[in-house]
Amino acid sequence: MDFSIDSEQKALRDAVRELAARRAPQHGEGDVPVGPAPHDPDTWSALAEVGALGLPFAEDAGGLGASAVEVSLVATELGHAGVQTAYADALVAGSVLAAASSDLLSSLVDGSALVVPALAEPGRGWSLASSSVHASGSGDSWTLTGSKGPVPYADAATHLVVPAAADGGLALFLVEAPSFADGIATFDGSAATQLVGPADGATALAAAVNLGIIAVCSEALGAMDAASTMTFDYLKTRKQFGVPLMTFQTLTQRAADMYVSLELARSTTLFAAMAIADDPGDSATASRAKVVVGQSGRHIGQEAIQLHGGIGMTAEYAVGHFTTRLTAIERTYGDTRQHLASLASSLSDHDQVDVLA
Amino acid sequence: MQHRLSPDDAAFQQKMREFFTSKVPQDLRDRWAAGGEPDPDDIRTAQRILNAEGLAVPHWPVEYGGSDWSMLQRHIYLQEMQAASVPPPLAFNANMVGPVIAAFGSTEQKDRFLPPTANLDIWWCQGFSEPDAGSDLASLRTTAVRDGDEWVVNGQKTWTTLGQHADWIFALVRTDPDAPKKQMGISFLLIEMSTPGVDIRPIQLIDGGHEVNEVFFDNVRVPADQLVGEVNKGWDYAKFLLGNERVGVAPVGSIKRKLAEAKEHAGSVQTDTGTLLDDPLLAARIAELEAQVMALELTVLRVAANSREGKPDPASSTLKLRGSQLQQDVLELIVDIAGPAGLAWGDDSWTGLAAPTYLNFRKASIYGGSNEVQRQVISSGILGLKG
Ligand SMILES: Cc1cc2nc3c(=O)[nH]c(=O)nc-3n(C[C@H](O)[C@H](O)[C@H](O)COP(=O)(O)OP(=O)(O)OC[C@H]3O[C@@H](n4cnc5c(N)ncnc54)[C@H](O)[C@@H]3O)c2cc1C
Repeated sequence: MDFSIDSEQKALRDAVRELAARRAPQHGEGDVPVGPAPHDPDTWSALAEVGALGLPFAEDAGGLGASAVEVSLVATELGHAGVQTAYADALVAGSVLAAASSDLLSSLVDGSALVVPALAEPGRGWSLASSSVHASGSGDSWTLTGSKGPVPYADAATHLVVPAAADGGLALFLVEAPSFADGIATFDGSAATQLVGPADGATALAAAVNLGIIAVCSEALGAMDAASTMTFDYLKTRKQFGVPLMTFQTLTQRAADMYVSLELARSTTLFAAMAIADDPGDSATASRAKVVVGQSGRHIGQEAIQLHGGIGMTAEYAVGHFTTRLTAIERTYGDTRQHLASLASSLSDHDQVDVLA
Repeated sequence: MQHRLSPDDAAFQQKMREFFTSKVPQDLRDRWAAGGEPDPDDIRTAQRILNAEGLAVPHWPVEYGGSDWSMLQRHIYLQEMQAASVPPPLAFNANMVGPVIAAFGSTEQKDRFLPPTANLDIWWCQGFSEPDAGSDLASLRTTAVRDGDEWVVNGQKTWTTLGQHADWIFALVRTDPDAPKKQMGISFLLIEMSTPGVDIRPIQLIDGGHEVNEVFFDNVRVPADQLVGEVNKGWDYAKFLLGNERVGVAPVGSIKRKLAEAKEHAGSVQTDTGTLLDDPLLAARIAELEAQVMALELTVLRVAANSREGKPDPASSTLKLRGSQLQQDVLELIVDIAGPAGLAWGDDSWTGLAAPTYLNFRKASIYGGSNEVQRQVISSGILGLKG
């Protein structure tokens, strides 16, 4: 096992680091936007230009023939700079388009189409096994009924990838120019194109979501790294009782615990990226990574605010925004509880977890 | 020992329950229960309804609107108020400045300030913290210099909660910069926000709200009779203020109501096999929290029963520490229950408020004496571990 990156990967990382620094949110005077960021077309075309949107897809399908490892490097930089984008969502959608050999993939890769998956359903917990949206039809003529949401970047999406229950299982559909109310897409016999049929739908969706998990775990890794570093620096500079906060052992020990969480999340994320690059269907590894990163993100985010005191609560200061983003990421593509539950249901599949297998 | 309420206390509980649920308008209580940014008019309305019934400031001296209740009754009162989602009397008035004026103010100050404070005709805010004086409050630098019949105030306060609605601020100011210990040169001053030279600016928090402010004082002239108690004794009054609230420091009633809501929400989210409430991992978390909240409530009751009037009980640190943790745990649970729906935050539905509320309440372990400071009080004050 080798966690080091080669010179090409390093060049990609540096390019994205530079891009992210330019696109990073500026927290200046006046009201600062909080919560989920809207789609930013400039950042998006910059990402398309450095080839980030096509990384994991085969060259003959319009991609760049790289892998989840490169995706991870890109997403980590975005997370570190606090740049929120539809990156993970576009890769999930792109992975389904690739599985379906859809022509649309090239437009996704060059940034002209924004295709996102519509996975969550109102009033329902996360599930990749079932859908309350129903598909009926055959061949080129399909319609969908039901609703999905919240859909990420609903306002800007040109297309949706929608899993729906069809005869024989979960099939994956493409819906063009979707319409939304409050981020919820409602299909009322709406026309859709079948991308992957019920025989392969669940497998294709799981692989696509695994890639998304790598992207969001990596983004979280970047955010945790940035929030931790800010906190360690703050402990060195902030004075109370006439001395720097780092004089208080209770705080330095907690900083050490944050560092432990961060490094365990880093190893796990990098390993999971390599594992998914080899086997896109390795959902157990993706789930373990999601659990580790979810718990680390919660720990680091909460401590970063706490150790900053009041300043950590302010919109002007980046630490709270990293924590906000970590909170959202933990709920993206299944939360910690859901991934734990799915891991718990397959304990008898293995004697021990073997990372060198 | 006896674990049930006495008939008298049970009747008291019934009376409180009936009052809160019938006399405070339902729509107001619903808005409060939903969370989000509080409506100042709702806070005023609720406090005046309570005050008209003698229920706004029960822990004050009887002649200024207080009641001769036992600590248990005070707990029952708070518990029922929180269970009914009645906005509590503004803490700055009822729990902070009011008791200080009642205990240390002149008769003139009591007559002038206590009635409008109880009725929220004066809205108070707390001007203690400064940019370089947070946990280390005694390092505060805002000065007040005596000039004839007035104090001239210069400096900056920060984190002033709801200061944008306030008519008056009670501030700690440095009146003797040469005092041998920095705690010894501080006074407790009452300042009208409309005085020339007072400037207030909002601070935006990570949920997008504007509940805190910075307050600047530029040669603000304050009549000398607005200094409470003795000059340079302000630190004692501040300690009294921060430590005197034994009952009510842990919002047990609110935590229990939120936890009940969490169960209701979990039951409404469908999963592949039923609802979230059937999920063993989530159910275990709720069960654990119910047990923890029970332990907290019992400790509140035990501390209330044992406390000696007038002297801050160090056990209040236990209640602040655990109360803020459990409050945060329950809000964390709700954002987990909202799951993917919580990603679209900001509307007034419970799913839209879940994430911003969770983030907003990270403050609970920072303000009012951070949890690190509470542990410090426990370890040195109770356990005698002095580093
Ligand atoms: C939402 C909000 C509302 C507030 N409302 C008001 C208000 O209305 N009026 C008012 O006067 N103030 C208010 N405060 C201020 C609050 O009391 C301070 O934020 C608090 O005292 C902490 O100070 P600080 O923010 O400067 O953090 P710091 O004191 O800089 O602390 C930073 C971190 O270091 C820790 N720390 C500091 N000293 C020690 C030590 N000796 N040992 C171990 N750990 C330590 C702290 O616990 C914290 O984790 C409010 C704060 C917030 C966030």
